[in-house]
Amino acid sequence: MSTTDIILQQLANGLIMGSFYAMVALGYTMVYGIIKLLNFAHGDLYMVGGFVGFLILSAISSLLGESWTAIVCSMVLSMLAVGMLGVIIQRVAYRPMLTAPRLSILITALAVSMILSNGVMTITDGEYMAFNTDLGFDGLDFGNVFISYTQLALVISASVLMVILYLFVNKTLYGKAMRAIAIDQDACKLMGINVNKIIALTFFIGSSLAAAAGVMAGVYYGSLHFSMGFVIGLKAFTAAVIGGIGSIPGAMLGGLLLGLLEAFGTQIPFIGSEWKDVFSFGLLILLLILKPTGILGKTEIERM
Amino acid sequence: MQTKKMTALVGGALAGLLMLSQANAADLKIGIMVPTTGSEATAGKDMENSIKLAVNEINKAGGVLGMNVVTITGDDGCDPQMATSAASKLVSSDVVGVVGGYCSGATLPTLKIYGDAGTPFVVAAANSTKLIDANPGTSFQINSTGFDQVNTAVNLFQSKGIKKLAIVHQGDGYSEDLAKLTKEKWTAMGLEVVAYEVVNKGEQDQSSLVTKIKSKAPDAVFWTAYYSDGALLIKQLRQAGFRKLIAVGDGSNSPKLLEIAGKAAEGVFCFSNPTADYLPAAKAYTASYKSNYNQAPDAYGPLAYDGMKLMADAITRAGSTDKAAIVKALKETKAFNGITGAVSFTDQNTLAKSNFVVLVAKGGKWALNK
Amino acid sequence: MNTSSNTSMVANIANWLQHQHNRLVVLLVMAALAMFFPLIANNYMLEVLTNAWFYTILCLGLNIVVGYAGLLDLGYAAFFAVGAYTTGILTSQFGVNFWLTIPAAVFCSMVAGIIIGGPTLRLRSDYLAIVTLGFGEIVRIIARNLEITGGASGLIGIDRPYFFGIELSQGIHFYYVFLILAIIACFVSYRLQNSRLGRAWQYVREDEDAAEAMGINRVGVKLYAYVIGAMFGGVAGAFFAVKMTAISPETFTFSQSVLILLGVVLGGMGKIPGVIIGAFALVLFPEVFRDLGSMRMLVFAIVMLVIMLYRPEGIWPRGKS
Repeated sequence: MSTTDIILQQLANGLIMGSFYAMVALGYTMVYGIIKLLNFAHGDLYMVGGFVGFLILSAISSLLGESWTAIVCSMVLSMLAVGMLGVIIQRVAYRPMLTAPRLSILITALAVSMILSNGVMTITDGEYMAFNTDLGFDGLDFGNVFISYTQLALVISASVLMVILYLFVNKTLYGKAMRAIAIDQDACKLMGINVNKIIALTFFIGSSLAAAAGVMAGVYYGSLHFSMGFVIGLKAFTAAVIGGIGSIPGAMLGGLLLGLLEAFGTQIPFIGSEWKDVFSFGLLILLLILKPTGILGKTEIERM
Repeated sequence: MQTKKMTALVGGALAGLLMLSQANAADLKIGIMVPTTGSEATAGKDMENSIKLAVNEINKAGGVLGMNVVTITGDDGCDPQMATSAASKLVSSDVVGVVGGYCSGATLPTLKIYGDAGTPFVVAAANSTKLIDANPGTSFQINSTGFDQVNTAVNLFQSKGIKKLAIVHQGDGYSEDLAKLTKEKWTAMGLEVVAYEVVNKGEQDQSSLVTKIKSKAPDAVFWTAYYSDGALLIKQLRQAGFRKLIAVGDGSNSPKLLEIAGKAAEGVFCFSNPTADYLPAAKAYTASYKSNYNQAPDAYGPLAYDGMKLMADAITRAGSTDKAAIVKALKETKAFNGITGAVSFTDQNTLAKSNFVVLVAKGGKWALNK
Repeated sequence: MNTSSNTSMVANIANWLQHQHNRLVVLLVMAALAMFFPLIANNYMLEVLTNAWFYTILCLGLNIVVGYAGLLDLGYAAFFAVGAYTTGILTSQFGVNFWLTIPAAVFCSMVAGIIIGGPTLRLRSDYLAIVTLGFGEIVRIIARNLEITGGASGLIGIDRPYFFGIELSQGIHFYYVFLILAIIACFVSYRLQNSRLGRAWQYVREDEDAAEAMGINRVGVKLYAYVIGAMFGGVAGAFFAVKMTAISPETFTFSQSVLILLGVVLGGMGKIPGVIIGAFALVLFPEVFRDLGSMRMLVFAIVMLVIMLYRPEGIWPRGKS
């Protein structure tokens, strides 16, 4: 492979990884934007989404076969189911905590995260599930650079979902309400906005995006495990902060950027895969010290 | 209210601790130390099942020295800290011996605990070479060590005319040990290791690593860690168009690897301790495992089963439940006939004769490489 | 009826505990219990309780950062790792006497505290959380990759220390070692809480801007919290290394940091007895529920959620202030 090939291939790799990060980071950022909570359980919703998608796919594949239609159907259903789960979590665990000390709600989120991952562990007996759809290895081959159709489908669906989200938040009344709550919750209440409903909606959207990413990951990587939400949760969290937590375009940008950084970090001599994470966390820390609000975050005066 | 809750809590805690310290004199207690929770729980439970299977057979045949064998499981969670607590629990429960040990990293700090208590420990699966140095003399490894595996691997690579090797491990004690030993041996032979890489545990996307490996154009890729992430690496290597030899270490010997990697795994080589499918002597074991647990045994089941049988054999030969006598009997083991082959020990309490075999994935199944 | 009698009982106890004298009695009784516990305990119980004292030290250390100064630290295991590795490397590779490595371990963890705290303490609290998380991961990966730290296998064969000619190797030795360290940690925490610095932390925690307006050096006092918290971790780590005789990077993961944080928050941030209870709950819960097998962490998590929902300020009741 020539250097150009390597650069192009890593660019492709980074963008694919980045779309996953971006989709999960969106959930972090939306929830943070609206109730200032770092939802630790978010990575686990991604994992649950993958499993739910797997169950639905195995159930409907007898009807539809293992086709793209079946995969899209199971993704949509999984998004609905996990979106509801997100709303339930918000209602049961987070809503009563909104007035509690800030650290307590963070711990609650950790507890929810542990419940989800250990719950799935108990159900699946800690086993890896093979999500084998055998979509084949066909794809676009540019000499030494190769992009499979699955990868292409993945990036396209991620982009479509993100565009829909962007339009929803910026062009609809609900989106407007979300943005308003992020600025001043009490004023919104006074203006007659049903704040609880909008917060629930935010959780629904964030969770279903994570679920969509989970199903895509299942299809793409071909395996599911109860612990798979942890690493991506951490990375997506990083991505959200890089982009500026609370900012939706920021999360998308942060996700893609982190994906690219990691892809090229692997390739850099003397850094290599051993130091890849040191590289990305180190850059994150530097960025935060030099520009603490992230790339697209607004500077605001902190109120605790 | 709160006080009551707390009293109940503390009371419960104390009751639990007391319960664990109770003993029954008529039984012969054997400890099982495996991960039954955490990421390696599948393998651990398989080992536990196999040991219990052996115990049932032993008890049906009249027990050991006329005593009924009972087991106590200590969950090491594949975590060094949990493992020391599990080991102390087993030692405090007055077990006469312990069988188990899956994750080398978790097994390592427990050797000293068993050593201090003089408790014989048959290490059924863990095989990092670090365990050899840390052995206080009371542990016995019945799985071939990393050295044996490296020899098997290097022989295969040479027979396939491999010149440039890429080695990938997972940043844990077991796989790093194997990767390092292979690298040392390979470079000592004047051959080249073009890539020596790490995959972080649980990271699904390895495409950037795959691109890097491809760019170094190795003749073979050797994955030294466990099956879960190994399957993903194989799949992504093949997806990216890497058509050359891929080999995996014994931690990857699982049908799950083939299931997850699908057709990408076809032709992958695996170095392995002998598993039930290739052991003529293990037919009865496999059948009874299937009828008891409704599933086929995993890679380390037969070794765990043998470990338990060996322990019982040693206690019988020792003629008493005195721990020192059992250690001595274990040390003197001469060609104990297990289902995985004959067991005798070297001076370092490791298996005298390597039992490694080379498997190859064919039609979604592992088969012996001829 | 039942509830009311209970409430009054709680009130009575709380009232009774208000007196310094009575509190001292309770403390002495508990200390005596802790002191004589090994006489009736077997090895397993000793191991579990040693672990509980060990987590008490770590939780008290983190409590200074989180509870007193109100800074969220998600990478506390890093300090603990620095201490453990300093001692491990010095004893196993340079043959330094264990007791001499303690100052080195403390020094190194302090330096780590300054490195992490120095540039980051100006950050918003949520960003601080992720920066500490990042540092925690970086420390673990460095330990995993370097030759001197033994790579992924970690350090093995760390020698047990001698104390006036006695080799500290039995469970009972380490029980007392960690009990004594925990008592020292309590004492130091207590003195800090009521010191000038302690009040400054409280001020900064409650209202940073007002504190600064009153002439408190905001970044300075936060850095103190970091460094002192790091020292606790360093000492605990040093003793941890010789107790385990083998340390590996797997011990110092993000989950470890989360576990320590849970101990602090479960019991009640900033309250010493609460933190001790939290540490004990952390260690005892999984052990007591071991029979549940793989479900035990699930049960632990549910209990945690319920406690947070019904007692968000932690198990220990709020003080009179």
